[in-house]
Amino acid sequence: MKIEQALAKLEEITAKLERGELPLDEAIGLFEEGLALAAATKQQLDAARLRIDQVVEQAKETLSVEPFDVS
Amino acid sequence: MASALVFKVCSSLPYRCARASRLTPGSVLAESGYTRPPMNEVRVYTVSELNRAARGLLETELGDVWMKGEVGEVSRAPSGHVYFSLKDSEAEIDVVRFRGRAPLLAAIEPGMVVLVFGRATVYEPRGRYQFVASLVQPVGAGLLHAAFERLKEKLRQEGLFEASHKRPLPAFPALIGVVTSPTGAALHDILAVLGRRWPLARVVLFPSSVQGDAAPTELVAALERAGRFSLERAPLDFVILGRGGGAAEDLAAFNDERVARAVYASPIPIVSAVGHDVDVSMTDFVADLHAPTPSAAAELTTPDGAEIADSVQRVAERLRAAVEARWTSAERSLRSTLRASLAREPRRLVETREQKLDLHVGQLLRFPRASLHPQIDRLRHAEDVLRLTDPRRPLERGYSITYAVGAKTPLRRASDAAPGMEIETVLAQGRIQSRVEGVKQE
Repeated sequence: MKIEQALAKLEEITAKLERGELPLDEAIGLFEEGLALAAATKQQLDAARLRIDQVVEQAKETLSVEPFDVS
Repeated sequence: MASALVFKVCSSLPYRCARASRLTPGSVLAESGYTRPPMNEVRVYTVSELNRAARGLLETELGDVWMKGEVGEVSRAPSGHVYFSLKDSEAEIDVVRFRGRAPLLAAIEPGMVVLVFGRATVYEPRGRYQFVASLVQPVGAGLLHAAFERLKEKLRQEGLFEASHKRPLPAFPALIGVVTSPTGAALHDILAVLGRRWPLARVVLFPSSVQGDAAPTELVAALERAGRFSLERAPLDFVILGRGGGAAEDLAAFNDERVARAVYASPIPIVSAVGHDVDVSMTDFVADLHAPTPSAAAELTTPDGAEIADSVQRVAERLRAAVEARWTSAERSLRSTLRASLAREPRRLVETREQKLDLHVGQLLRFPRASLHPQIDRLRHAEDVLRLTDPRRPLERGYSITYAVGAKTPLRRASDAAPGMEIETVLAQGRIQSRVEGVKQE
């Protein structure tokens, strides 16, 4: 899931839970879903490493994508 | 006889004279062999008059001019005026720049080659020949500046700077294009900021030279390549176009009309990031966003990953608090229902409630979070209370319950029974039926 979608979903779950109107089992289900989503989002942020490619014109009119060496 | 003249200043005149000597018109100065013209044909200036005349000549004949030279000695008077000498390989002139003129484009330093605008004049009280500069610019700046302003005005009138043409940038960019030199400081700075701040993004570099004669064409080609890449391969969120700081000439490619137009024509939003904070380039005006430096461009266009991680943490805490609150209220209502119903129909109720409780405990135990444990402890306690009140428990320890046959309530006093009465004793396992032989009151 894209990070902005995950964040929006998390907010939605939290708002639902905070209203406190859900049956207990449903609340617990949402809670578990929320925690899993939060963990996945954090993991995604922590594990991310910037990836760099460069695009050059190969033959005429042909774009070629190559990994770019940062060093 | 004409009146005698006393020449107070002799050395500056082209002939020698005898101090305070009497001269008559037409007299011959034998020593110099110079025949003085008749006095009535000669204009004799006072010093003031001469200085004034020289000044007038210079100012009207020469007027305002541009002059180029190298700055020699510089002195700044407390008054705010700046005095310096300007020279070339053969000559030198004193220049004064009065305070309160147009602000200096750069500090005047010895050795600097500058272009000054102003007029040559004479400082009358001292008869000093000097140049009064109203404008001082490092060489090249003036002409470049004028061309820059002309182009800027032209593009503005064509609508290239219109706010309505500027597109918004996404809050969470996934694919960022960069048009710059693959070996320059700008790329390094941009990657450093993105790596720290928003490593979720992928960067696509479109290499181009950023200075020199080929730079404008290459920049235009790189921008077009970025547009094609976005259409054909993967959509770019935006493109950062820029380079690090440098001399004005080094930044010139970003003032090129072709580059400015390519920025305007780009199908992808462009972030212009050229030079240092103080540098202004044409692409800054046309771009969808203008950043003062390449690092600032990366900073301005991305969210802070660490901040997002923090907010995720906060949301997780809110989740926990919400579910705990929900649990507490469920537990409270469970307890009160239990209390109310225990008295009425002990066994069945206890069993079903216990089962329910077990179910919840089981669910709670699946929670990975330590912060829920107090809730679980409270639950266990409630469970214990229930077990203790279970009427079957005492039977297991050897007690029994005796009923008169057919009665709903157990016998509590011996007097409730009478000899010959049929009774039933409930044990932990099974029942005993018997008849009362005798009753002893105690």
